[in-house]
Amino acid sequence: MSNPSPGTSSKAKVGSSQPSETSFKRKRGVFQKDLQHMMYGFGDDANPLPETVTLVEDIVVEYVTDLAHKAQDIGSKRGKLSVEDFLYLIRKDMPKLNRCTELLSMQEELKQARKAFEVDEEKLATLE
Amino acid sequence: MKCTEERDSRDEASSATWLAFAILTSRMKQSKDPFEAALEEQEESPPDSPVGEDELNSQTPNEAQNQTDGGQNILVDDDDDDYDDLGPTIKNPSHLSSSSTPKLHSTSVNATVAAAVTNKNKEYDDDEEEENVDVELSKFPSSADPTKMAKMQAILSQFTEDQMSRYESFRRSALQKSNMRRLLVSITGSQKISLPMTIVVCGIAKMFVGELVEKARMVMTERKESGPIRPCHIREAYRILKLEGKVPKRSVQRLFR
Repeated sequence: MSNPSPGTSSKAKVGSSQPSETSFKRKRGVFQKDLQHMMYGFGDDANPLPETVTLVEDIVVEYVTDLAHKAQDIGSKRGKLSVEDFLYLIRKDMPKLNRCTELLSMQEELKQARKAFEVDEEKLATLE
Repeated sequence: MKCTEERDSRDEASSATWLAFAILTSRMKQSKDPFEAALEEQEESPPDSPVGEDELNSQTPNEAQNQTDGGQNILVDDDDDDYDDLGPTIKNPSHLSSSSTPKLHSTSVNATVAAAVTNKNKEYDDDEEEENVDVELSKFPSSADPTKMAKMQAILSQFTEDQMSRYESFRRSALQKSNMRRLLVSITGSQKISLPMTIVVCGIAKMFVGELVEKARMVMTERKESGPIRPCHIREAYRILKLEGKVPKRSVQRLFR
């Protein structure tokens, strides 16, 4: 099962001159730095092997790709892609579902807090 | 810990103002080591903040009440997945009630942790640093349950330096939202990827990485190997996850890899 060049349609590193929205080439090592810290946090060595990180990145990109394709299939019935499609896909996986609902509610709270912050800023400005 | 009357007696404006102040000061401290800045912020915070957070989180199903509380002390940055308990399999979200941690930890432990991860901090770019500081400021109770929170703090206070650094990496690490958004746009072909969607996918992906790494460690212990995880372990873990049905199957077989 060892693949010499794993990954979905991965090309060599593309110069960042063109906007990536139109091009479908994917750079390797997009998540490398973050993944190193993440793998250490989850139980790997303090310095994970680079080939391991690359493999994990490829697997994660493939996972996200499959997830997004499935979500698109579901979302196309409704019209457009929405967050609920992703939540529907992970409905069987309790830890992930709980985590996602928690993230969403925290984001809401943060939004509210930021709004309140701006209101207070205005109040302070008008007082002075 | 002070009881909730104190928090109730504050009106939302003042609590929101404090929150605003904390966000602002956190943004201003970008140049500092985020861990040191976080420690300072913790010491400045009002003492009853964890309880306030507690009540807030215990009322999470009541959306209206949450909003009126003004999100006191919740300086949660949505970028950082610092809210999880150890390991993705634990269902109850357990958060670091960082305001009381300094009291439990000796200052030397905090100093060593701060020093030990200084190298890691230099790798963070500015955005990440700001978001990390924001997250450290938040006072997370483990859940609505004060006993859970007490348990969590008891556990955290007894961490060795090594464990603490690993836990810190676990909490602070996250996939970049911008990269994820770019990936999603390239996959779906649509430009309309909302922010919640990016956040959700980042969270799902992080938990997936956790499952992979943990499974790989299990494989290693079965094979009685040690050291850093090698690609063969990851592949075996991936195969096992597929058998367990945790990996979405492709409807179309990928032919040429």
